Amino acid sequence: MTPVDEALAARRQRAAWVAREILPHEAGVRTWLARAKVRPEDADELVQEAYCRIAMLEAVQTIDRPDAYFFSIVRNLLLRRLRRERIIRIDAIAEIESFRDDVSPTPEQAAGARLDYARVLTLMGRLPERCGEIVRLRKIEGWSQKRIAEHFDTTEKAVEKQVWLGVRAIQRAWSDAEGEAETRSAAYIQTPRRRRP
Amino acid sequence: MNSQTSKNLDDAAAWVARMDGMAWTDRDEAELQAWLGGDPLRQGALLQCQAAWSSLDRPRTQAASPRRSVRRTWLAASGLLAASLAAVSVYLAQAPDAYQTQVGEIRRVPLADGSVAAVNTASRLEFKVVDGRREANLQRGEAWFQVAKDPRHPFVVEAGRVRVQAVGTAFSVRRSAEGAEVLVNEGVVEAWAAGAEGHRIRIGAGQRAFVTDDAAITKVAASPSSIDRALAWRAGRIDLSNDQLGSAVAEFNRYNRAQIVLADPSLAEERFDGVFRIDDPAGFAAAIGLSLGQTVDQSDPKTIRIGQAAH
Repeated sequence: MTPVDEALAARRQRAAWVAREILPHEAGVRTWLARAKVRPEDADELVQEAYCRIAMLEAVQTIDRPDAYFFSIVRNLLLRRLRRERIIRIDAIAEIESFRDDVSPTPEQAAGARLDYARVLTLMGRLPERCGEIVRLRKIEGWSQKRIAEHFDTTEKAVEKQVWLGVRAIQRAWSDAEGEAETRSAAYIQTPRRRRP
Repeated sequence: MNSQTSKNLDDAAAWVARMDGMAWTDRDEAELQAWLGGDPLRQGALLQCQAAWSSLDRPRTQAASPRRSVRRTWLAASGLLAASLAAVSVYLAQAPDAYQTQVGEIRRVPLADGSVAAVNTASRLEFKVVDGRREANLQRGEAWFQVAKDPRHPFVVEAGRVRVQAVGTAFSVRRSAEGAEVLVNEGVVEAWAAGAEGHRIRIGAGQRAFVTDDAAITKVAASPSSIDRALAWRAGRIDLSNDQLGSAVAEFNRYNRAQIVLADPSLAEERFDGVFRIDDPAGFAAAIGLSLGQTVDQSDPKTIRIGQAAH
């Protein structure tokens, strides 16, 4: 393998791990951020930064509970950000620090926020018609972009454009699965509770 | 949505679509790297989009969460073992059996009465049966016991002056300079200090207590999950849930010769969640370093230094 192939393979492998272990929990973490009164645009940044940290990890195999790990990265980033602000609401920090313990889902709860294929199929079903058709051919039938282009008698660029729309839409669906996020995250993160002294 | 993070995602999605298509060349990679270099958050955006795309792949069969299953299997197995051995146990006066562990070693041993002990790092445990009384002597360190049910023969752990008695129960005892900590995950035990037999307390499942040598006792109710976490060492793991970095580091240092040092003491108060392998302090340090944005220095094989000393 050339170095470029290696870089590509390493990124794919990391992405597959993240898809399985982290992505299904993102909506839950965002719900938690919303409850901690973090503005949506700040939440986007914290989440992106957390993914950044995961992208830069040398290995992920040592992480035993990726959901809890992801959550703690986000929480630590948030705490750091709050501390850096000149005017600090002490109670805000205490409150965030008191979000604890209950964030560890039981195996049954964790099962509710896993990557299940039925859910994936639903997400694909919600894509716009043309885009959805192309994404299904690519992912379910395993056709290359080139073959899809030939099939529809169009250019590869045009297919790539639809894939782009698909990627963006699916990414958005994972991050703001709001209605579903409520139930999922209820299992995952409970109401904040102050730590007993 | 913040315009920058949103723009990053739009661009990242385009990169993912491009990677998904034609052959990826050196030139493509160079352009991607140039784009990534333009904003530190772009690495994250790329991973978000690539993971989203990857989530659409057909699933391969996945193993269940290893952590829980390992623990359960082991508990179930030890229970069976305890039961089968208890059936044939004969109590004879005997020289004590001694079990000793090195730093980082965790041993599970069947005791002569059919009970099971897990002996934690750098510990020494002796066990004997005297006059039908089962006596475990924790000379140093920590051990967890799953006691074979036998109401006629009390099972007593001695840890210095501290005594803990159980009948068919699972609990751990950890010795320290001033006394011993007792954690109960099943059933009920009684604890007291030698010389203060009249002052006994009952500690039930989900409770922990610290008994000092001079018989002062503090008892705390703990959630079952926190008891499980505190006993994660039996499965070779350290389980953190909003624990302070300082105490987490002290835990790792109990089990490993390579010692973790926090160069900046203020880091000790940061809190963390996660489950880590007990024998992998370097992996833990690396995860912490990344999470806190701190350097990890391993140039000295005996020391893993997190962060830089504050000036």
